[in-house]
Amino acid sequence: MTLKKGSFVIEGLENVQINIGKVGAEEEEIAQGPTPRPEIIGLRDWDYRIIDRYNPVYTPTGDTCDFCTYGKCDLTGNKEGACGIDLEGQSARQALMVSIMGAACHSAHGRHLLNYLIKKYGEDFKIDVGPSNLQAPLTETIMGIQPKTIGDFRPVLDYVEEQLTQLIATTNTGQEGAARDFESKALHAGMLDLLGMEVADIIQISCLGFPKSDEKAPMAEIGMGILDPKKPVVICVGHNIAAPAYILDYMDKNGQFDKIEIAGLCCTAHDMTRYNKTAKIIGSMSKELKYIRSGIPDVLVTDEQCVRADILKEAQKLHIPVIATNEKITYGLPDRSNDSVDAIIDDLVSGKQPGVVLLDFEKIGELVPKLAMKMGPIRKAKGLTALPGDEEFKKLVTKCTKCLQCTRDCPQSLPISDAMAAAVNGDLSLFEILHDKCVGCGRCDYSCPADIPVLNVIEKASQRVIREEKGKMRIGRGQIGDPEIREEGRNLVLGTTPGVLAFVGCGNYPDGTKDVYDIVEEMIQRSYIIITSGCSAMDVGMFKDKDGKTLYERYPGRFVKGNLLNTGSCVSNAHIAATTIKVASIFAGRKTKGNWEEIADYVLNRVGAVGIAWGAYSQKAFAIGTGCNRLGIPVVTGPHGTKYRRAFIGKPYRKETWNVLDGRDGSVINIEPAPEHLMITAETKDELMPLLAKLCFRPSDNSLGRAIKLTHYIELSEKYLKKLPDDWHIYVRNEADLPVAKREQLMKLLGEKGWKIDWEKKKILEGPLRKVDVSFQPTNVPRLCKEVKK
Amino acid sequence: MNAKNPSEKQEEKVIDTTRQAVPYQTGNIPGPKMARAVMPAVPGKMLARAKRPLLIVGSKIDSEDVLARVVAMGKAGIQIASVGDSYKYLADKGLDAHYMNMHALASYLCDPQWPGLDGKGGYDLVVFFGITYYYASQAISALKNFSNIKVISIDKYYHPNADMSFGNLKQDVFIAALDEVIAQLPK
Ligand code: SF4
Ligand code: SF4
Repeated sequence: MTLKKGSFVIEGLENVQINIGKVGAEEEEIAQGPTPRPEIIGLRDWDYRIIDRYNPVYTPTGDTCDFCTYGKCDLTGNKEGACGIDLEGQSARQALMVSIMGAACHSAHGRHLLNYLIKKYGEDFKIDVGPSNLQAPLTETIMGIQPKTIGDFRPVLDYVEEQLTQLIATTNTGQEGAARDFESKALHAGMLDLLGMEVADIIQISCLGFPKSDEKAPMAEIGMGILDPKKPVVICVGHNIAAPAYILDYMDKNGQFDKIEIAGLCCTAHDMTRYNKTAKIIGSMSKELKYIRSGIPDVLVTDEQCVRADILKEAQKLHIPVIATNEKITYGLPDRSNDSVDAIIDDLVSGKQPGVVLLDFEKIGELVPKLAMKMGPIRKAKGLTALPGDEEFKKLVTKCTKCLQCTRDCPQSLPISDAMAAAVNGDLSLFEILHDKCVGCGRCDYSCPADIPVLNVIEKASQRVIREEKGKMRIGRGQIGDPEIREEGRNLVLGTTPGVLAFVGCGNYPDGTKDVYDIVEEMIQRSYIIITSGCSAMDVGMFKDKDGKTLYERYPGRFVKGNLLNTGSCVSNAHIAATTIKVASIFAGRKTKGNWEEIADYVLNRVGAVGIAWGAYSQKAFAIGTGCNRLGIPVVTGPHGTKYRRAFIGKPYRKETWNVLDGRDGSVINIEPAPEHLMITAETKDELMPLLAKLCFRPSDNSLGRAIKLTHYIELSEKYLKKLPDDWHIYVRNEADLPVAKREQLMKLLGEKGWKIDWEKKKILEGPLRKVDVSFQPTNVPRLCKEVKK
Repeated sequence: MNAKNPSEKQEEKVIDTTRQAVPYQTGNIPGPKMARAVMPAVPGKMLARAKRPLLIVGSKIDSEDVLARVVAMGKAGIQIASVGDSYKYLADKGLDAHYMNMHALASYLCDPQWPGLDGKGGYDLVVFFGITYYYASQAISALKNFSNIKVISIDKYYHPNADMSFGNLKQDVFIAALDEVIAQLPK
């Protein structure tokens, strides 16, 4: 018999699934759990457990459906369309489609890197992510295999791609119809997203010399004010390091780092600094239009994801050539991959072509610095910029008629006309405030009936603050290493470290980037472990305290309480989710391979980790959040997150949804709502902070841990909402759970609520929902109980 | 046409909250059913008549003039769901105000089993203002499509997802409109 890679079942042993890794590999891979490579309904039971407690809440952005030619169908009031789908089903289908888009984005990024890295380094190139035995936690948990080489990830991405195709098929009209099953499939897509991201980041860490679990990774400069605009400037935009790596290598080899400025926008920037610490970061996607219009870039290099659709149009106006280096974004440009570098440069410098598609990395590496050296002097001599001059600026602000059309079109409803009026009198301070709150979308330009280029006006007025925009960000460290988990796992599960807060995602903040800094500063001072990634990681580093220090300079980067860790770019979000798997495996000895449900059940009940995507805008962010949800990690987004149309919200008043089993004997225990929600939004940062503290409660907290968590929940609510939370008492199981500093006062309040208290011994006799039991083994999965009570 | 003859000029002081009844954020067009634009007396009377009305206010009630109207409505006996961080403005005002997350509230209002903010049951009328525009618009789209509760926006923006709404108002008209709503409430 010839053994092939994959899974098979032996006749008569139907309950045993055998998985074979690489043929000829040293050891065969045997999954430890029941669901290696789960099919699209393979984890549906787990999904139902989640959905039954955390009900999907739909907030449609539109009440119609126009997917097929029966439509447009009016689904208002949850009516059915011509195909039979109702608005609930349609909203769930949209949640699935959004998750698929996000998962496809990250996985295709991973596939592009994998093909390239295998070609360059060979499929036997060893994986090395730092001091870890559990090197690929998501891969192990989902696939049931332990990859050792980058080639081992081939079947992983094959699986992701096959599953995504199956999921896309279910969204066609006349396929899946039940909201509940669309949601289960969306959770599956979210999980695939985590897997695709893990592959992408592990292979680039392993092959490209990125920091490997390095808590002391160096600092990178960040901000719109960090580059010397007198030098030729190259700006790389997007998420994929493949092309920028060649540019950095060429510049390094030719000693050009002091002659050319090179920096990134969005996650490419993260990975450029991980690849070569000389590279710099301009900032998040919100800075793309602003920076291009400043005229500072002399060459724009695009790759994939979070690249604005109008980059070529904007760049062309300022004679900035665009080099499109990835098949996913080609802007209708000619593919010049087979032409000579000099011929392409001639056509770009002369303006004969505004940009080119160039897929040959060697050529990109050589062309971009050479082109920058030519374009720099030409462009700078002409002083090309979209921003108005001083006189023009004065004229423009006086043209404003206060019609407020720009405010109505602005995603943040910014008070632009007030800033215009102040500027007429020479006061630019309101514009300077707007600069931080503005996400640089450019919608206002289109809306102004007086033809004021509003974004350019904001940016012109904010030159003083832009020049000072110089921060520091600790370069992405990659995974959390096993030794760190060993040290901290216990504190997390018992609650004595109040929680892990992961600030992830994009820059569509409701009230400016400063909010993220403020929230992180408050929570880190309270000893939460703060992990960042993506654009949030950048924005955290943009602000300084009174001594001129950023948070990355003030707080170290180890996985222990009160530390600030940056894992890296968007795809390194996988490591944040994977950290919870590591806690389950390393601290609690849970088997990982092919064992998603048990791991997720452990995470949901015991690991106080919460994701915060305060400025989430993209489908990718939703997919990441949905993947985290399937792993038992709650996620909070800013108010814009309601436009994702679906949340998972718990109902504390429905007591029956808060039953768990005690793994020791299968007895049913009614618990406090912990965590209360899986996906929810908050309106402002002041509302967010107490909510984060609350979402860190877990049934497994010991009394010391619960008292610490309760302290922060109460203090944050009193500080920011001016009130004792209404529900603080439901998290109290005995007197030891009460925050020490407030014990007397809170006990009195419990007495007033009718709880029986022995005042002499200061003991709670009656009132709590349940007792503290240090050996309690909370689980939502009956098969994990030693003995199930009937 | 907005041209007015002199006799109409006389009436300019009388506020009209039904003008400019187009979605405040230009692209926020949900579908065929959009809110009916109403004069302030309508929500005022409905609030006065409702058995279990609920006023929802959010983080945009921080200005003195708006806050005073929230307090006046609370003092008239209307229970308040204080969403976002608005509770910090209401903490010391002696009102029947309860903190609640807007997204969770939207979900609970759609659930007939929800015992309400005070354990006394659900609500038959929801009125709101002072919430981040798009946030309120999204949250009430849940009520519009998945509940039978009447929802009225008395905010300064036209909210298409409500059953009834004011049009887009200037601040002075908005304040005057709130006063007219309050005038209908039991003293
Ligand atoms: S560019 Fe800025 S000010 Fe203009 S609409 Fe977008 S966010 Fe608002
Ligand atoms: S749209 Fe133009 S004229 Fe109208 S308020 Fe904005 S900047 Fe002024």
